[in-house]
Amino acid sequence: MNNSYVEFRELQKSFGSTSVLHGINLQIEEGSFVVLVGPSGCGKSTLLRMTAGLEPINSGQISIADRVVNRVPPKDRGIAMVFQSYALYPHMSVADNLSFSLKMNKSPLDRIAEAVKGAASILQLSTLLQRLPGQLSGGQRQRVAMGRALVREPAVFLFDEPLSNLDAKLRVEMRAEIKALHQRLNATTIYVTHDQIEAMTMADKVVVMNDGRIEQVGAPLEIYDRPENLFVAEFLGSPSMNLLPGKVVFGDGTAAVELENGVLLPLPNKGDLQSDQKIIYGIRPEHIALADDENGLAITLTLVEPAGWETHLHADLAGVTLRFLSVDRVNARPGDPAHLAIDTRQLHLFDPETGRRI
Amino acid sequence: MSETLNHQEQPVLGHKRSSLQHYLRRSRRFLLIGLPLVFLVIWTSVPILWAFMASLKEPLEIYESNTFFPRSPSLEAYQTVLAIDGFGKWIFNSVLVTVVATIVPLILSILAAYGFARYFFRFRHILLLLYLVPRIIPRVSLIVPLNDLMSNLGLINTYWVLYITYIASAVPLSTWILVGFFKSVPKEIEESATIDGANMWNRLRYVILPIAWPGVVTAAVLCIREGWNEFAFVLALVTETGMRTLPYALYTLRDSMGVQNFAVYNAFTILTVLPLLIVYLLLERRVVESIVTGAVK
Repeated sequence: MNNSYVEFRELQKSFGSTSVLHGINLQIEEGSFVVLVGPSGCGKSTLLRMTAGLEPINSGQISIADRVVNRVPPKDRGIAMVFQSYALYPHMSVADNLSFSLKMNKSPLDRIAEAVKGAASILQLSTLLQRLPGQLSGGQRQRVAMGRALVREPAVFLFDEPLSNLDAKLRVEMRAEIKALHQRLNATTIYVTHDQIEAMTMADKVVVMNDGRIEQVGAPLEIYDRPENLFVAEFLGSPSMNLLPGKVVFGDGTAAVELENGVLLPLPNKGDLQSDQKIIYGIRPEHIALADDENGLAITLTLVEPAGWETHLHADLAGVTLRFLSVDRVNARPGDPAHLAIDTRQLHLFDPETGRRI
Repeated sequence: MSETLNHQEQPVLGHKRSSLQHYLRRSRRFLLIGLPLVFLVIWTSVPILWAFMASLKEPLEIYESNTFFPRSPSLEAYQTVLAIDGFGKWIFNSVLVTVVATIVPLILSILAAYGFARYFFRFRHILLLLYLVPRIIPRVSLIVPLNDLMSNLGLINTYWVLYITYIASAVPLSTWILVGFFKSVPKEIEESATIDGANMWNRLRYVILPIAWPGVVTAAVLCIREGWNEFAFVLALVTETGMRTLPYALYTLRDSMGVQNFAVYNAFTILTVLPLLIVYLLLERRVVESIVTGAVK
């Protein structure tokens, strides 16, 4: 007995000769909101579908509530799933969509009516119960899909990129609704997305996946502040982290990284670094700022993108492009010279060979 | 002054031009879509209308003139047809074999098409192609071996021989139609039903069939048409008068009448076509309704 509610152990999956999951190990605590995030084709949806019982498992083990469910049919796993395309039954009214699972499981009529009423009231669908899915807006359809999951009172909610069909504004609203629903029900939730903003804003725990493997697991800010490898560093954050290859050089009690173009970037201390050690110097755009004095790095601005409350900037540093942000209004224009200051307390250093954090 | 005039005239000219464009656009649409449709309606309905008018004429009137409308319309030919000994039995036979040759192939092909559409097994495509073989081989070439086979089985002049041949002929057609419709039902909808606890039968009944209903109705209409109009098999495998269906009885009408009464022939034709026409009209509305419902996603 452990405190994990859903557990993947050495899970492998291949389609024909193509291996898509290479030994996934993950423990998900009861009541937590876990987001699987990664680029398209990384295996996150396959992992979710295997949890739902829609894809057979090649090897390894999935357990839900301390019960191995490898051979348990989907309906008996205690899960409910919300699909990317909503997968509503187009010929059934909202009420029939909500009650379908209970009817299939031969629940008593009064229990069905009660469950439909409850779900409809939570998701503000009470006035839409007689409509067909085609008569609903995208957001309403999304809510029906969630309601259908809700009436089953599942132990685990599975969401497969549920917001990707919605426009940007609605996506933000539904994001908040899903999170609010989770806080209300406190049910274990596994949520798949390729959108890092969704991952960061919704998750208790983020699982970053790439190429059928888990790259890192942790709380959103923990992963953001301390990415374990180059993939996670680059994947999380928008604009993404600057990753600059170079080698370590030591001066009079100082340390720096010399880029391939000869530019020296400051290091806070020598640490365990060796002279001439090859390194990748990572710095997030928000940790670079325009310097008032001329002691900083001399650059030329190449792109200025005002985004309202912040400005995204690109700079040319002797042939290397640097991305950085400014929350102050920037009056400079592309082609203007400027100086930059790097917050060396916020550096991320990686080994170029292994890609791992140093 | 002239400038002012120009200003006033321009909108009028513009209006005229736009209405002219609108007129041209409508004319072009009529030429491209309307005219072919009108032609098609005439092409398909005139023979039936002509037969109907001829059925209302006096027995010899059809020889006298080429007029479309009857001089003094009469239902006498219909009374003659309905009084033909065995007509009721032929209608019964036609209805019976059509109902059986619609319901049984539909049940079989719904199951077969579901398998072809949703399960991936070896030689699936080849098997589906082989399904078409009975439709590709000319029907006439099947008649001799079929007759031989059925007489060896002792089935000639029984309903069974008609059921078997009609069903075998209808199943491939309806399966092919349904495979396409079943494939168009998104897989996620069925997966969602699986998670909701529906087994294969329930998924088929409550999810797949209602969504693919236009396909089922289309397949049913084609099965009905095939069964009702089937001629070659009944001609080859049935010899007793009491086992005939309407198309066969119509074919043998000339011999049984002994007189060349075209009004009676046409009345018989109309009575043969009428039930099918009614079924078409009833189901066509259902097909349209189902398409509208099914399209809602």
